[in-house]
Parts: sequence; structure tokens; C-alpha cells
Amino acid sequence: MKTILVNPLDETPRATGIPARRLDALAGKTIGLLDISKWGGSFFLDQLEQRLKDRYGVEQIVRVMKPTFTKPAPDAVIDQLVNAECAAVIEALAD
Amino acid sequence: MLQPGAQAPSFSLPQLDEGSRQFQQGKPALLIFFETDCPTCRLTIPYINRLAQLAGAKADVIGISQDAEAPTRELVEQAPIRFPVLLDGDLSVSREYDPQAVPTLFLVDGAGKIARTSVAFDKADLNAIAAEMLGEPFELAGKHDGAPQTRPGCVSRHLEPRADGELASSVNLYAERGARASRIELSDDVDPCEFCYLAGFADPLPVIPPTVERVERMLAATTLPPDRIVARVPPNYGMATVEKIAANAVMAGCEPEMMRALVPLIRAACDERFNIHGVQATTHFAAPLIVVNGPVRRELGFACGSNVFSNVARANSTLGRAFQLILANIGGARPGELDMSTLGNPGKFSYCIAENEEENPWPPLHTEFGFDRGQSAVSLFAAEPPHGVSEHNARDGRTILRAISRALATVFSYRFCFGWEAMVVLCPEHVKTLSRSGFTKDSIREFLFENTGIPIREYETDGGEGTQFTQLYQRATINGEECYRKFARPDQIRIVVAGGTAGKFSAVIGSWATGPRGSQMVSYPID
Repeated sequence: MKTILVNPLDETPRATGIPARRLDALAGKTIGLLDISKWGGSFFLDQLEQRLKDRYGVEQIVRVMKPTFTKPAPDAVIDQLVNAECAAVIEALAD
Repeated sequence: MLQPGAQAPSFSLPQLDEGSRQFQQGKPALLIFFETDCPTCRLTIPYINRLAQLAGAKADVIGISQDAEAPTRELVEQAPIRFPVLLDGDLSVSREYDPQAVPTLFLVDGAGKIARTSVAFDKADLNAIAAEMLGEPFELAGKHDGAPQTRPGCVSRHLEPRADGELASSVNLYAERGARASRIELSDDVDPCEFCYLAGFADPLPVIPPTVERVERMLAATTLPPDRIVARVPPNYGMATVEKIAANAVMAGCEPEMMRALVPLIRAACDERFNIHGVQATTHFAAPLIVVNGPVRRELGFACGSNVFSNVARANSTLGRAFQLILANIGGARPGELDMSTLGNPGKFSYCIAENEEENPWPPLHTEFGFDRGQSAVSLFAAEPPHGVSEHNARDGRTILRAISRALATVFSYRFCFGWEAMVVLCPEHVKTLSRSGFTKDSIREFLFENTGIPIREYETDGGEGTQFTQLYQRATINGEECYRKFARPDQIRIVVAGGTAGKFSAVIGSWATGPRGSQMVSYPID
């Protein structure tokens, strides 16, 4: 007799997405920096912001913070980045 | 909205599965307006169930659903709702009573006048309504039962903006059916056990292959249809249908009767307050610890005595293992992928205890969440591994608690205070001494809160974890020494009685980040 198993893994149908096109250059762009709100995040992102401006000519930095690092970003946080029309977003953390 | 003192309009509405029902003055009644997709309504329902049970013949408790029959039936079965539910499909009764939000409670007296109202979730309101209905002060919603003191509701359906002629309906997040699980046919030369391992079904230990026959036996033990979605399991939000749960239960070695505990356990884990997303994805040690209470312990064979944290009983080991398999196989948090815990936790094989209620002179854990002692329940705590506390020479309860407080001080990180909870698992011998010394659960919590601190001199040496937040900490003098308190409140310390009657070993279990910004303990009924 053949053995027939019931698949115990996740089979939830999901839409597939296409990754955004990579940027050719950062100069003149608006870049979002998403701090997940761990304790050392602001020190790290301050440094990153400075370098993006000084070294790569980034025009504008949009700083956004999640209310807690333990949960996914709520829509309001994502909306801030979308509304700012960021060319790219860097999500970062530091303990 | 109708206010206290106003006459409550009488009405007649269809009752779910019962024809129609007339509401008119004559007997005190509690009306609760709700929507099926409102999380605050779901939070409130267990309290109203209890109130309906306590009120008995003294008063009617009547639910009024603002949604269609199908989603209402789903909620009634899933929550479950244990009072009669009427369907206000055209919202005519909602317009007359005009609640601004749901849930809204109207307490109507025997003369048909509105005596009291409560909008959204408010523990003080619930307790006041309970006292009025029962004729004596009654704490229906305990301060420390894991639910917030208040929580906003959702806008009442009759106030939602919508196009003319559109019927009231809701996006039903809770009632969808999922697809049936696919079938995998193995040829005769394939060893099913080895296949399960290679296909990634298992934790690294062998599993029982989930054959169609075994899964069907498991499904026969529940009245739920196989394609019913019990929850969507974070972090991947995979659909945990009853069939998928059953297949994983088979693999873990569960007996079919265990579906009774496993289904509410999955619901509890996916309660947004528990935040299983974070618990599964953190680099911390946290693993969900299951605590089982009530008669189900005996009925399904859960161990609560000696070796309670070990491989002592099929029920504990298989429920804990099935849960972990579901979190990995359906939720997607597999070690090395979405679960990147630095050191992990042996509890990720199975972490399930039952409370030793027979050796507990105080109210058991689940009663702190509003359940009766006779109700079975499953509770979840985002837990570090247990840390033992030996104290064999104490002659009184205070000495035991001082030993425990020293272990509590090290929870998470020695100098890091306030953000953490702890579960203290007291062994029966310690409980006897504490009880003889006159301690209660509350006074144990108070004592541990008062006596657990980190000496301020520890912060004077160098920087380090926890030293950067001292402005948030409370100072206290403990044993003549200036300290920072480890905990912000006594209710951050949970007390459970478990273990064998020989040996004076208790345990302290640290938490992951707690409160609304982390994981909050939850408790769900097992019927």
C-alpha cells in the first residue's frame, strides 16, 4: 500500500513581488533611515547620515523610528517613508 | 447614544439558530453591541461569558451582532460566546440605541430603564456592572489579569461611512476557510521517517509520519472543519488550518484528544498581545512557555509534579513539541532562518508545564486572568530557561523569598531594571513553609518586589547594559543598602506552583521584553 502524507508545511498562497531597481548613485537623492528603536540606533544612524551626506552627496535624509523593535513597522511608519518619496531606505539597528 | 435614565426601547431581532427574540422590560438585562472583526470586542467577550454564568437567572445577557449571520456564527464558535446572540443585520436597533463605538454595554433595570453604560473596554466599568447585576461588590476584571485597564473599541457599524444601499458587512479576518493541505505520495522504496526529516517537516528528532489515516484520526477528535483557519502564525503569517495543526500534532506524537488543548494554544500564541512575531524572531533566549491549568491536566494526563520541566509525561512533551513544530512549519521561524537566537533555548523542543494546583493553597495562575478554578486554561509566557534556586535551610518564608530575590535580580541582565518580568515557580516544600509563615500570592509578590534590587554601587564602576537608564529606575533601601528596584511593579512577578513534593528547589524564569512594547502573558480557555 502506498503511503500518503498530509503536507504539514505552510502552503499559504502569496503574491510574488519584484525587488525595486538598485540605485546607480546616491547624489541628490532622498534617503530614508529607519531606526528600529534599539538603544544604540541613533548613534549609528547619526554617523551613517553624516557619511551619506559628506561622502555620497545625498541631498536629504528622512529619519523615521519604529515605536518598538519587537514588532513589525506599523503602517503609519511606512507611510512616512512613502510620503517622503525616498529613493531608498536603510533599516538599521544597534544595541 | 442612549444615556442612563432613558427608557430602553423594546425590539425584536432574529436570534442566531433560534428563530427570533423579543426584548422588552420586565427583567434586568445586559445588552452588548459588538462587531465580529473588532479586537476589543474579542477581548471583552470572556468577561461577559463569565458575567452571564454568574448572573444566571437574575438577569439576561444578550449579545447584539452588527454583522451578518455567517461571520457572527464563526465568532460565536471561535471566541466562544456563551450567551444568546441576536442579529442586527439592518442596524435598526443599533440606530435606536446609538452606541458610538463597539463594544458598548447597556445595563437595563427591571423597569426597562438604562441603569449604566460602558463604551469600549474598561475594567472599572465591567466591575461596576458586575456589582450592580450581582447585587454585591465583585471583581470581574482583575487588575493583574494580563488585559489592559482600558482599550479603545471600533466605531459602531451604523456610524461607518458607506454608500447608500450598501449592506453592512465586515472584512472578516477571523472566519476564512483555507485550502486543504496537499497530499504527498511516497513510493514503496522511500522510508517515510527519513522522508519527513529530509523534507524539513521535523525538528532534528524523528517524527511520526503524518499519514492521511493518522491525520484523520486526529481530525475526528475535533468538531472543527479541517479547512477552518484557526490563526495566521507570525512571522510568516502562514494559515494554521485545523488540518495543518492536526498533521503537526501527529508528527509530535500527540494523542487525538490533544487537539482540545492545541487549538486554543495556537489562538493564544497568535493573540497580538503575546507578540509571537517578536518572540520567534529575537536573538534573545526567549521561547514560549506553556502553563496548563484546570481539570484538563488530569483529563489529558499533564504532569505537574516531579520533573515537571522534563521529559516526564506524553501530554506535556507532545503538546509542547507540536506547538514548536507549528511555529516553525507554519509560522516560518526556523533556526538559522527567521529564528536567529544567539544561544537558543532547550525549550524550543518542548516547553510545557502544568500547575500543581493540588499543592497550591492560593488561587492558581489562570484565575488571575479571570477564569474560574474549574475552567481549564492554557497560558503563555515568553520565557528564558529556568534558573534554579536551592534553599534547604530556611525556617521561615522570608528566608526562602530572600534567596529567590537574589536570583530575580539577575533576570535579563543584572543591572538592567524595569523592562522585564519573571515567573517564579515555587516547589511544594517551599510553598508549605511560605504558607505556614502566613504568605499569600499577593504578599509573596509584594515581598519580592520590595526586596529585589541592584545596589547602586554596582553602577559606579563602569558603563554597561542597564547603566544608561538609571534615571528611569526607582531607588529603595534594601537590607540597609541603597538600591535600584529590579521591577517596576509587583505584578511583573508571576507565581506558579509546580514540581514534586520532595526537594526544596524552586525556579526563577526571566522574560523577554514585556508590556505593550514586547510580549504580554496571555491565557485562553480550554473547553
